Amino acid sequence: MVKSKRSDIKILDRVMDALDVETVLVSDNENEARNLAKELMQSFGLKDVDIVFLEHEGKTARLRIRSYIHRSGCRYAWLRTEAKGEKE
Amino acid sequence: MVAEKKLLLAPLDPVHNVGLRIIDKGLMERGHKTVLLPPDSKPEEVVEAALKNQVDFILVSRTMIYGAAEILGRLVDLVEAAGLRDRTKLIVGGMTITPELAAELGFDAGYGPGTEVDEVVAYIEGTRYVPAKRTQIKVKKRLENEYSYRVFHKGIETLLKKITDDILSWAEKRTSPGIERALLREKILEIEHAQAEGKISRKKTANRLRELNTAYLDHCDKIVVDFYKSGRLPRIVRVLEAMEIRQLKKYVAQIKMTAAGRIQHVLEKPLIFAQYGTGCPIQDIAHMKAAEHWGIDGAIHIDPSWEARAEGLLDGYLTHEENGTLPTFKNLRLIKESLNPATLYQVRLHRGLNSPEKALFAGEIGADHTKTALDYGSLGGGTDPARLTVDTVYSLRTAAKYHMATQIASNNQLLCGSPIFKSIAGALVTAYLSLRLGVKPILGSLFVYSPEAMITGKMDDNYIDYNAATVYAYRRIIDAPLWGGEPIGFNTQTEDRVQSATTTALHAALSASLNVDHISIGTTDEAYARGPIALASRIDTFKAVKEAFRFLGKAKIRPRSRAQKWARETVERVEETLREAAEIGFVESLYKGTFSTRNEGGYPGRFGLNTVVQRLAHR
Repeated sequence: MVKSKRSDIKILDRVMDALDVETVLVSDNENEARNLAKELMQSFGLKDVDIVFLEHEGKTARLRIRSYIHRSGCRYAWLRTEAKGEKE
Repeated sequence: MVAEKKLLLAPLDPVHNVGLRIIDKGLMERGHKTVLLPPDSKPEEVVEAALKNQVDFILVSRTMIYGAAEILGRLVDLVEAAGLRDRTKLIVGGMTITPELAAELGFDAGYGPGTEVDEVVAYIEGTRYVPAKRTQIKVKKRLENEYSYRVFHKGIETLLKKITDDILSWAEKRTSPGIERALLREKILEIEHAQAEGKISRKKTANRLRELNTAYLDHCDKIVVDFYKSGRLPRIVRVLEAMEIRQLKKYVAQIKMTAAGRIQHVLEKPLIFAQYGTGCPIQDIAHMKAAEHWGIDGAIHIDPSWEARAEGLLDGYLTHEENGTLPTFKNLRLIKESLNPATLYQVRLHRGLNSPEKALFAGEIGADHTKTALDYGSLGGGTDPARLTVDTVYSLRTAAKYHMATQIASNNQLLCGSPIFKSIAGALVTAYLSLRLGVKPILGSLFVYSPEAMITGKMDDNYIDYNAATVYAYRRIIDAPLWGGEPIGFNTQTEDRVQSATTTALHAALSASLNVDHISIGTTDEAYARGPIALASRIDTFKAVKEAFRFLGKAKIRPRSRAQKWARETVERVEETLREAAEIGFVESLYKGTFSTRNEGGYPGRFGLNTVVQRLAHR
């Protein structure tokens, strides 16, 4: 888990819902780009990954990759961080 | 009084000098003496001019990144060599400049993109820069009060009167489980409110409450009965803990809302609405609080996953990961109370089996709008036409009691897509019925890529003419406010974030150009269906629409002449449709396809089929 310089804070706890990564990957085809995109997110330690958008043209794929940090209905870590001092 | 300063302003770029010219103007207005050199000034020329004019400050700008460090470094060296450093301060600004880079190069101050003139002036005058605060305090606007609701087309008005007479007399004799629950819920809430205020004893009213709750369950589906009787929650539903509610209230209290953002530019409308429905009231509130800061005027509660799912509503603070947040009284009240009092609030009642009860909830928590649609809710929204009609009459009476207006959805929107003249005819019936029951309607829906237009090709060239024709048609018939969405641009958005924000912004610009009163705007996740909408995707469209309004100002988009022609043809056919409905009888006409045949995408809904019964005379 990535921590901020203030060691008591996990940065991902502050993500309201989803973390999107937008980039262009060099790839031969859409399938390869899709696999590379998922591997990229996994390499960041992110789970619950989906490709929101992928457009492959020529040798490149433009994409938006998403990892949900807090899905609806879960217990939001940012809420606990915001209301510091509350005991659970 | 600030002492007059002498300043030299020198653009070091070949052409870019607008930033310095703006600052020059600001400095002169403050009474300082300035010398502005032409673009592409060389460091040697700058130093020469500084010596000649004995200036207190040298302001240089550099936008081009290439060679920036070299040229700026040389200027600093030359200024020092000329002996100016003790009495002259050096400032640099430009697109590539950061305060850190400026300090590294030996400048006294550096300003990058987005710098305000006052910030630079404050530095020069040796005062503390205080950014201008937003001063606009948002005021709630009920635009429906600005309309007369006069029907210009007398033939259409006569038919609307006949049809709504028929609806009112038909509904008068009928009831539904939804209405019976609303009547019981009203009594339950009355007792609960009186108990909470200490007006009546809990002990004395316990039996009465038990009776009412038992009677309520007589009109509910098993999933709801199980919830109340044995505490069994529907799959994936979770009760929010008291700690989570406390944390949420603290979070909301920490959000300062002394002045709200604004999406509109020079015009006062359209008012901007955002739908929420992540499935979780906490997430909804967090999204809407952020949306208020970005400038929305209203929030819309949607709960598609429950709307048509079951007879009866659950109770408590409930969350789940489904499309739409559970419409319990506590959830709705929590969300409404978290919003800025100036934020308009809408609860949709246009389909499903719980509209009468939700209308009561909406009124009790102080909502401003409901959403109603006899034809769309029954032919495109899955609810049985007879059931929706009787429930809608009841819900509108409730809306009138609580002074709520109602947005009228139309059958042309989303995936149904009946011909536009039928859609307008259906919307007018609901609108006229609303007026007769004391509720001001806001007519829609507009600015979507209707399946009808896809089939007829009326939007092949552009998205402007067809939408403009719809607006013109409404305005030929009635003086009433209009609502675009929802959301605007529906069916034009893709999963591409840039495309999605752009098409939303362009539809918003069109709605402003046509003087439409309200619009619902989607997010750049509009076409993404594999997960909940992310807040960042909401902000995308707020920003895009704001930029579109800035671009358009008070200018107009000019539709082609065919828009007026289509509007004339549409009005004629609206009258034909209403005549047919008046002859057949309204409810029957919904089943028979007057407002949309199956081929046109209208399927009489089956939720609530055969649940309308004769009302007992004693009530």
